[in-house]
Amino acid sequence: MSDPIQVRVAAVRTVSPKIREFTLEAVSGQLFSFSPGSHVVVTMKGTNAEGKAKVWKNAYSLVSDGFDASRYVIAVRLQDESRGGSVFMHTQVKEGDTLEITPPSNLFAPVWSAKKHVLIAGGVGITPFMSYLPEMKRRGAATEMHYSYRGDATGAYREELQVDEQTPVTFYDGAAGERCDLKAVLGSQPLGTHFYVCGPESLIEGVQETAMELGLPSSNIHFEAFAAPQPGQPFAVQLEGSGLNIQVSEDESLLEALERSGVEVPNLCRGGVCGQCRTQVVDGEPEHRDSFLSDTEKADNDCLMPCVSRARSSSLTLSI
Amino acid sequence: MNASTDIELDPAVKSRPDYPPVAIDARASHQVFIAEDNEQTSLTALSEQCQTGEKLSIVADAESLPVSLAELPLSTALYVSGSEGYLWDIHNRLTEMGFGVDKIHLLAPASAARRLFCTHCYTTMEGVAHTPYTCTGCGRPLLVRDHFSRILGAYVGVQINAEDPADLPATESLDESASDVKEAC
Repeated sequence: MSDPIQVRVAAVRTVSPKIREFTLEAVSGQLFSFSPGSHVVVTMKGTNAEGKAKVWKNAYSLVSDGFDASRYVIAVRLQDESRGGSVFMHTQVKEGDTLEITPPSNLFAPVWSAKKHVLIAGGVGITPFMSYLPEMKRRGAATEMHYSYRGDATGAYREELQVDEQTPVTFYDGAAGERCDLKAVLGSQPLGTHFYVCGPESLIEGVQETAMELGLPSSNIHFEAFAAPQPGQPFAVQLEGSGLNIQVSEDESLLEALERSGVEVPNLCRGGVCGQCRTQVVDGEPEHRDSFLSDTEKADNDCLMPCVSRARSSSLTLSI
Repeated sequence: MNASTDIELDPAVKSRPDYPPVAIDARASHQVFIAEDNEQTSLTALSEQCQTGEKLSIVADAESLPVSLAELPLSTALYVSGSEGYLWDIHNRLTEMGFGVDKIHLLAPASAARRLFCTHCYTTMEGVAHTPYTCTGCGRPLLVRDHFSRILGAYVGVQINAEDPADLPATESLDESASDVKEAC
């Protein structure tokens, strides 16, 4: 894994009732420029409800222009069922604070051979597209965006997304009963169109189902579903390789528990999509929550993605 | 490894395409059947089975593929039949036009003959049925590998006796149905 980068919080602002934006600058040296759709993982060192030290690591899309390496901007939605990471960002992080981030990585890059790009965003799912748009404009790429949000919670960056001829944006405020007609949007696109979806699972599934109904190629549908790890039942983990025994509490992920015990597992997205943290299971029954492993692999129960998945049995034995 | 040692076809050659059986894509709005010539019987049979969508049959090579295809919707399915090199020429032309790769269905090539790309002089040869094969460009005896370039629609050929000009293995057929394919490495 690449070395972490220390950044200073240069500005904090509220961009929607539930979304806060953080501008980050390098403490020393320079940041890397990045490709559209990139994210960073932010390390947050705080305390949990019982006052014990706790480290969260969450992936956030970069919403600034990748050409501008003088700063990174991320936007964080306060999650209703947060395990603490987004609460920490919203309540603890202030201007002048120092945070640790990974260098940018990209699991959601545009397909540049596409003749047209259709961006479908839901709520805080607008974030990866904020770095798409400046590059689409530079390249003169045909682009249109459909942005659904709830005006009483999300809907960040609407002013910045002012309608212009090259990248028209249609807004749908769910709080006002407006809905995006996916069939109309997907069904009217020319040959060579690629579709990109980021938002809640219901939106991603809606696009996939509509595309299938319309006979559209699934190779042209791209989505990013960073599901932050959800809490679950506590369980015990035995590590065969290192001989360690670890307790995973209800509000921490298995990966976080491993890291807390000094066990390093390669990881990139921390949201069950990239496959980096795949770990072998020797005994016990995993509760698979990722979208990386195939159904067959999940049924085999001989590996799991510790970034989001947990145990169905009271304990798990891992090969590491 | 000694060049004369016989080994089985390497299943680890990931670049080599496989051609699973093709079924009609019932959700497609348009069904396009593209053939290299009029001898493509399995494509004809598939086309006769097709009961859904607007049907179109074309006999053409990649250069003469009608540009009007680009007017078709994204929900178009395409079925292609011919020699292996032809399949990939058409595939590449169609993706350039904007068709999605999982809407382009390539039928298994009828013949085992290969298009061969010489990695020394970049000559491309058609209908190569045995290995080693003398390059028509530079005259080197080429081992016909299983490594395949989808952009060129060709297998790569590398000089087989580069280290010892006298070490020239016997000629073998590339037709897997006729005999086990052997590859020296």
